[in-house]
Amino acid sequence: MNPGMKLLLVVLIALEISFTQSLVVNCILIAVCFVYIMVKRMNFKTLFMLIFWPMFPAVGLFVSQWLYGSAGIHFAWVLFTRIYAYVFLGATFTLTSSITDLALTLEQDFRLPSKFAYGVLAAFNLMPKIREEVQIIKTSALMRGEVFHVWSPKLYFKAILSSIQWSQNLAEAMTSHGFVEDEPRTHYRIIRITGLDWVTFVGLFVIVQAMLFLIKY
Amino acid sequence: MENNSQVNHKQHQSKWTLRNIILIALIAIFTGVIFWGIGFLYTALTVALTPIGAAPFANDILMGIWCMAGPLTGFMIRTAGSAFLGEFLGAAVEVFLGGQWGAGAFISGLVQGIGSELGFTFTGYKRYDWWSLNASIFTTVVVTFAWDMIKNGYDKFALPLLIGLFITRYISTFIFGGIVTKMIVKLLDRSNAFNL
Repeated sequence: MNPGMKLLLVVLIALEISFTQSLVVNCILIAVCFVYIMVKRMNFKTLFMLIFWPMFPAVGLFVSQWLYGSAGIHFAWVLFTRIYAYVFLGATFTLTSSITDLALTLEQDFRLPSKFAYGVLAAFNLMPKIREEVQIIKTSALMRGEVFHVWSPKLYFKAILSSIQWSQNLAEAMTSHGFVEDEPRTHYRIIRITGLDWVTFVGLFVIVQAMLFLIKY
Repeated sequence: MENNSQVNHKQHQSKWTLRNIILIALIAIFTGVIFWGIGFLYTALTVALTPIGAAPFANDILMGIWCMAGPLTGFMIRTAGSAFLGEFLGAAVEVFLGGQWGAGAFISGLVQGIGSELGFTFTGYKRYDWWSLNASIFTTVVVTFAWDMIKNGYDKFALPLLIGLFITRYISTFIFGGIVTKMIVKLLDRSNAFNL
């Protein structure tokens, strides 16, 4: 499925289940997403992470709602399953779509200005380097006997200094490779939204609406 | 860099140039990566608070940290939409790093982005000072709290608990979105690395 359409569908459904309180629909969504990512061959370590980490907030919300909520145990379960529905919905997108494809389709099919699509993509591709840089900043502070915490302004200051420098370099590099802002572009790789994408999108969306309308529990 | 063209500290408007877009994205990713590292802190807090049913407090205590990218980018790149983009991308990073929120983080990003953007909208993108930063904090707290009333079922709690959660969130957002952001901006201003 086209990554842009998929993301839109996932976010729309996630938004909808935030406003509705159907335990059954949440479980169906989790099951369907689960099957989808299994078909796409996800490894078991990732699956374990997907189930393990959300356990804490899910149980936390459940218990507090159970003890202090006025809506009873059913609503507590709704919140519990809602967290997992978010996670599995998100996983159907993040585990099967590449961010490059997303940027390409957002530019070509969703009319996002190319400077946003490619600018953000360029920054995202620096992610491994950014993680490294955060480590470097922390380590070099340690060498001066300073410990940077998540609340240390200097940590962010140094991160921003790197950002300023890198953004300048990246923008210049892109310009020197022939990227011109606000000019029409031709594309080496063309991503289209196909008829099948539309059918899948509308079909799944309608099914979710019908379920939310019919299944109230 | 453009800092030598303007020596005086007159406030200026920024533009949506390629460089500024990349800058916002980079700052968002940096903050996203830094916050991702405290995921365990959130989990630990949640575990500690769950037995007394106070787990939502973990969310509210840390809310300010998650909402830092917005005020920061909004304050640095002075144009409509920059706070929103920074905050939204910061949340999106968590999704791709494999955070525990899944699609929920995209939506939280949208909500938090709108929250921090509104503060700058209300001050007309003209003022960039302690006042507009506080406006942004206020709108962030109100918007994200309203969202949690729906999404995390806060609306089913009794009023005292609700007030407690709101105050916790306000303090957290004030410390991180306000005081820490202010200190970062001050460092930037003094270093002359960026023309604020």
